[in-house]
Amino acid sequence: MKVVPLHRAPTRSRRAAPPRTDRDLRARLRTVEAELERAKAKAAHPEGVLVTLARLMHAGTRGLSWASLARLQSALYFAWHSEDVDEFGSDRRFTETLQPLFEFLYTVWWRVETAGIEHVPAEGPGLVVVNHSGVLPYDGLMVKLAIRQEHPARRDCRMLALDMFALLPVLAPLLAKSGSVRANPENGERLLNKGELVGVFPEGVKGVGKYFRERYKLARFGRGGFVRIALRTGAPIIPCAVVGAEEIHPMIAKADWIGRPLGFPYFPITPTFPALGPLGLVPLPTKWSIDFADPMDVSQYGPEAAEDPILVNRLSEEIRSVIQRMIDGRLARRRSIWFG
Amino acid sequence: MGRIAVTGTSSFLGARILRRLVDARGADSVVTVDIAAPPAAPGGVRHQMLDLTLPGADQRLVDVLQDEEVDTIVHAAFFTSPRRDSSYAHELESIGTLHLVAAAAAAGVRHVVMRSYTAVYGARGENPNFLTEDRRPDPNPSLGWVRDKLEAEQHALAFAKRYPSMGVTILRFATILGSGLHTFYSRVLAKRVVPVVFGYDPLVQFLHPEDALAAMEAALTKGPCGIVNVVPRDALSLLTALHLAEKVTVAVPHSAAYALADLAWNSGIGAAPAGFVDYARFLFVADGDKAKRELGWTASYRSRDALGAYLAYRYPEKAGSMLEAEA
Repeated sequence: MKVVPLHRAPTRSRRAAPPRTDRDLRARLRTVEAELERAKAKAAHPEGVLVTLARLMHAGTRGLSWASLARLQSALYFAWHSEDVDEFGSDRRFTETLQPLFEFLYTVWWRVETAGIEHVPAEGPGLVVVNHSGVLPYDGLMVKLAIRQEHPARRDCRMLALDMFALLPVLAPLLAKSGSVRANPENGERLLNKGELVGVFPEGVKGVGKYFRERYKLARFGRGGFVRIALRTGAPIIPCAVVGAEEIHPMIAKADWIGRPLGFPYFPITPTFPALGPLGLVPLPTKWSIDFADPMDVSQYGPEAAEDPILVNRLSEEIRSVIQRMIDGRLARRRSIWFG
Repeated sequence: MGRIAVTGTSSFLGARILRRLVDARGADSVVTVDIAAPPAAPGGVRHQMLDLTLPGADQRLVDVLQDEEVDTIVHAAFFTSPRRDSSYAHELESIGTLHLVAAAAAAGVRHVVMRSYTAVYGARGENPNFLTEDRRPDPNPSLGWVRDKLEAEQHALAFAKRYPSMGVTILRFATILGSGLHTFYSRVLAKRVVPVVFGYDPLVQFLHPEDALAAMEAALTKGPCGIVNVVPRDALSLLTALHLAEKVTVAVPHSAAYALADLAWNSGIGAAPAGFVDYARFLFVADGDKAKRELGWTASYRSRDALGAYLAYRYPEKAGSMLEAEA
């Protein structure tokens, strides 16, 4: 009869066999030493690695607080903004900060050439009417700079910026702080009544968002709003033609399906944008010319003439053709887009 | 000359104009009409307990006005900041004003001076830089707070038209910054971190309380002149104001700002509902020419001074470093 054991009898201890050789002894010593080191490290930093790291980071940022962050932000902001703005939000320090960039564009990048600057009145109100082009409103900036730099009276021309620019994020405060004013009759009249020089782009979006193939063909001049404010205030109208701005961002197509959701009236496709990314936003260095024509005195019609749509349209058309003639004249003389 | 009745005497403007009137004309020339007695009423001022929101309030008010021989009412019972309880605000501001002007017309009151806000114009991208009184208000339709004010104005104007014996003056005050006055801006200025709309920096106007009271007094002496903007001489850019106040600003894209503002408002941490994002995006600067012409009043403090005075009151320990130019 065979007895089946219920439990296998332990034949050998589970513990490691006692070291027999010298090599075994040394290995055992090493493991014990390593365990000891670990225990020591744990004793020094009882919270563990993560907590230690957090503690270190806190020590490193002890100087930081909401208040210091606020002071830093405030210092950065007032480094290029002044604390006071004029009633239309124009910021002197902001303009001065950007002035070198604007002057670089004016003298080096586009080498602007002006003619007929003497037609801009040295004092009193005046309405400078300009053709619009170039996808982004650089032309306004350059006309403003031309009058500032070339005119003996160094006058500041307040440009009336299109709604579409005045509503866009980033561009809106940028324009306002650099002296532009939103284009609407109330603002225009207020400035003219104060005796300021005001610049307008009656073509509006139709002008600035022109296809390259339509360049230098003036679009419709709105509904003559600019003539009405000139009539009401008796300010002379100075036609002004910018040549060169049409080629800075040659728009070959519009991708409205991208632009609309972002709030842009159009999304331009140029040979460089968006293909080259942000680099495509660099305007091409064409040669510019800015011509001013004889001022047109509309005060003879009186303020009530502003309610006469036929007269308003006629004057508007007259100014449009003067500007178109100036542009055509320049284009006929121009041999190169880049060198004039 | 009849008495002046003042409503909303627990409000910032109501309480202060009451004190001024008592100082200038004596306690007997004034009577307060409110749901509760004014918290710090000058001695001797009679109080008439009346809830403008109750049905029949107009009838009771007629009796009160006639008993007290009131010929002028200063109506300041308005909420200066948006409330979550918008239906009560509607009852008080829109319906309450309707009751008030109806009673005033019936009781032969000569002049109702009403407090309103330049915010009723609405902050719109299309706004001209200076809003004049003839500009049609076009606020964000989702803002009950503004809608109630506009309705109140319309009730007052409609009654003034129907009863030529009663004239109204509606003072549209720019944002007043003062101790104990809770507005959208004072709530924002009380926070450490302020969300702003990315890429926008509109002009804002802050009115000094002294100027507001002076304009109110001018309106009381001048007689009815319809809607009048009561604004400081200049404007300030919003970011300039926030950085002068040393706030940490966090820019939020406008496409997300409205949803986030509503989320914050509904969860109880926001300063105002989504429609107020408009006021951080676009300007609603009003023109003060009419006040100068018709009330003979111009602000003696700039927006910046008003902000400086408020910050010095709110953060006295920092007052020195924050606005040196204020001194």
